[in-house]
Amino acid sequence: MAADSNSPLGQGAATRPVEVSRIEAGFFPYSLILPAAILILLVVGFPLLYSLYVSFTPYELLKPNSLNFTTARALRNYQKLLNDDIFWRSLLNTIVFLAVTVNVSYVISMALSQLLSRVTVGQSVLRTLLMVPMMFAPILVGMQFRWFFNANVGLVNNFLISVGLIQEQGQIAWLVDVPLGMITIIIASIWMNIPVMTIILLAGTLSLPTETFEAAEVDGASGWQKFRFITFPLLAPFSYIALTIMSLDIARAFDIVRIMTDGGPARRTEMLWTYITRLAIEDTKFGLGSAMSWITVFLSVLFTLYFFRQLVKARIVR
Amino acid sequence: MLRKLLLMLVMLALVSAFVVRGQDEPQYAGLDMDLSGITIRMANIGGGQYEVMYDAIAVFEEATGATVEIVALLDGFAIDQKLKVDFATGAADYDVAWDHTSFVAQYTPFLLPLQDYFSEDELAPFSPAILDAATIGGNLYLIPRHADISPIHYRKDLYEDEAIAAAYMDATGEALTVPTDLEQIDRQARFFVENGHSSLGYTLAGKEEALTGRFYEMHFASGGSLFDENYQPSFNDDIGVAVAELLAGWYADGIIPSDTTSLLWDGVAQYFCNNDVAIKLEWYGWYAYFQDADSCAVAGNFGLARGFTGLSVGGDAVRPSGWAGAHAFSVPATAPNPQAGVQLIKFLSSERVAYEEALLGFLPTRGDVWDRIITDAADAENPLDRERLELARIQVGEDFKTPPLIAEWIPFSNIFYPHLQAIILGDVGAQEGLDAAAEETREMMADAGYY
Repeated sequence: MAADSNSPLGQGAATRPVEVSRIEAGFFPYSLILPAAILILLVVGFPLLYSLYVSFTPYELLKPNSLNFTTARALRNYQKLLNDDIFWRSLLNTIVFLAVTVNVSYVISMALSQLLSRVTVGQSVLRTLLMVPMMFAPILVGMQFRWFFNANVGLVNNFLISVGLIQEQGQIAWLVDVPLGMITIIIASIWMNIPVMTIILLAGTLSLPTETFEAAEVDGASGWQKFRFITFPLLAPFSYIALTIMSLDIARAFDIVRIMTDGGPARRTEMLWTYITRLAIEDTKFGLGSAMSWITVFLSVLFTLYFFRQLVKARIVR
Repeated sequence: MLRKLLLMLVMLALVSAFVVRGQDEPQYAGLDMDLSGITIRMANIGGGQYEVMYDAIAVFEEATGATVEIVALLDGFAIDQKLKVDFATGAADYDVAWDHTSFVAQYTPFLLPLQDYFSEDELAPFSPAILDAATIGGNLYLIPRHADISPIHYRKDLYEDEAIAAAYMDATGEALTVPTDLEQIDRQARFFVENGHSSLGYTLAGKEEALTGRFYEMHFASGGSLFDENYQPSFNDDIGVAVAELLAGWYADGIIPSDTTSLLWDGVAQYFCNNDVAIKLEWYGWYAYFQDADSCAVAGNFGLARGFTGLSVGGDAVRPSGWAGAHAFSVPATAPNPQAGVQLIKFLSSERVAYEEALLGFLPTRGDVWDRIITDAADAENPLDRERLELARIQVGEDFKTPPLIAEWIPFSNIFYPHLQAIILGDVGAQEGLDAAAEETREMMADAGYY
């Protein structure tokens, strides 16, 4: 009996190549990203997991035998940090620095983006000028502001002396006094971060639908009302993206702080990453430094999750 | 006949003079071994005048047949980081490494002891004080390259003005002379500032190891010690409190700059350069900068004196200050060609190379080189050039004092200096701040296995 196409055998023979090709097609995209995935696992995943392991050991770089995991000491680094006043102080400083820098940067960037979106002449020149701070490495920005605020030869003190606001003998120690030390770092950081935030908000503003604004105008809405009830809500997704990116970037603050105050004096401006650097790189306490890094990463992840949930909500509202 | 005899005598004299002069030239060392086919790898400090010395390596290569490959030339901070990572990972595959008397204690498990590679004669020219500082547990771990230490720098115009001297006599009942102890410095610095003769009385670096070191120096000069014989912190004793209170008082009264706690070496030097500071301790290494009239207002207007002795609270134990350090060479324990590395070190630390480096302004660590540069300076246009060298030789020879030779020196400093800053700024009292630093230090030392 010849097998016809309706026989079970015949059907199986006809469908198997289709199933195989489906499997192949399903695997194909993964095979394309596999090399990249392996590479990322090697250069990102492995070091991350290794640093997690190190965080449970008392490892010090110049004491190779200290890279030993023992259950009794596993949580010692974390316990030590949670009882460490400097850790909590650096966390508080980082939160204050982050909150002020991000919020002030956001307000200024929002204002700049609205002004720039209305400029009709010389827009490209203005946008280029706006980008200037982005062209400097953070370390250079730190050096620049450190000299601006230098008590002895700084631009700011010399200006204040020249206009008679302070005496030559009464130079202000900008990088030392409380809260001036933190304020100077915040000013430098705001100056550096405004361009990115402004560009994101400007892009968002230019992408908004014009019909809504035309309708509002017909209804007699004022400029402030249009901004308050149309622009600002519609820009929410862009705002959350900008705030998330900037928050994560600013929370990693290191270069500027390191150059301007190095966390001092007397830990007045100590941030998480300057303290981590001191522990891990200068003191070569890799175990303690890794534990503190993981706590910081954990906090950053929580923060990012919160912002992304807000972003999703904003997109649903829109 | 007589004419011929005279001619011969003149020629003989000229030849003798030439021979004597030839022998008097500083000599290289380390060239007495055939190293053909060997590549010596070196990781060293780089930047600016540090690298001028390495030009002489061509002579070594030509004489020994070796090839010298410089695998790293980094600044002090970066080379320290590289060495730590390479030592920890077993990747120190070079034969000569940078070293420093302040850092050597942390490297010792990874270094080759050098005492068996150098004869007594070869070590004899080096400063015994520096070799002592380089010897840990009976092993010599480094060969010094050049050193630095701090004398008192003072503004001459303040001490040569008769009206100021008379006013000082009226105010204090003592003659205005260049100070020799900390209490004199305190009185004079305050007098100069309070009477408008100088905007600042004193300056010092106010952060990091620089501040820890300056405190250590003042504490040591006053008879104190940072640690006792059991490595228990002892800087919070009466002497430490007196030194910390002195610094806090200076800050509160405007004797030192308002941004002291932001200052490192360059910032401190700038104040003196501007002619704004009456008295201070400063490294000899800044001398050429201060004497450059194009850069510094103080050029030609300052003198030098031996480091001060400390506060009288230390009683009979007071002694001259002398926090010092020396750049040096070591051989990693994992060096592929240790003997060849030693030969290169002998060459680089030889009288000839050390002399050439000393001509750049660095303080030598060899007695024979000291003799030469002081002789060279005998006819110097500025007498201070010679006085500086004579004074520096005394200080390097007699007052050279490294920080405690413990691997935890930098971690200790990172604990200590923020507390001292808080005391200086008035955030906490001296005893309270030092006690807190001592408590953290004790914990760190316990973790490190000292007790």
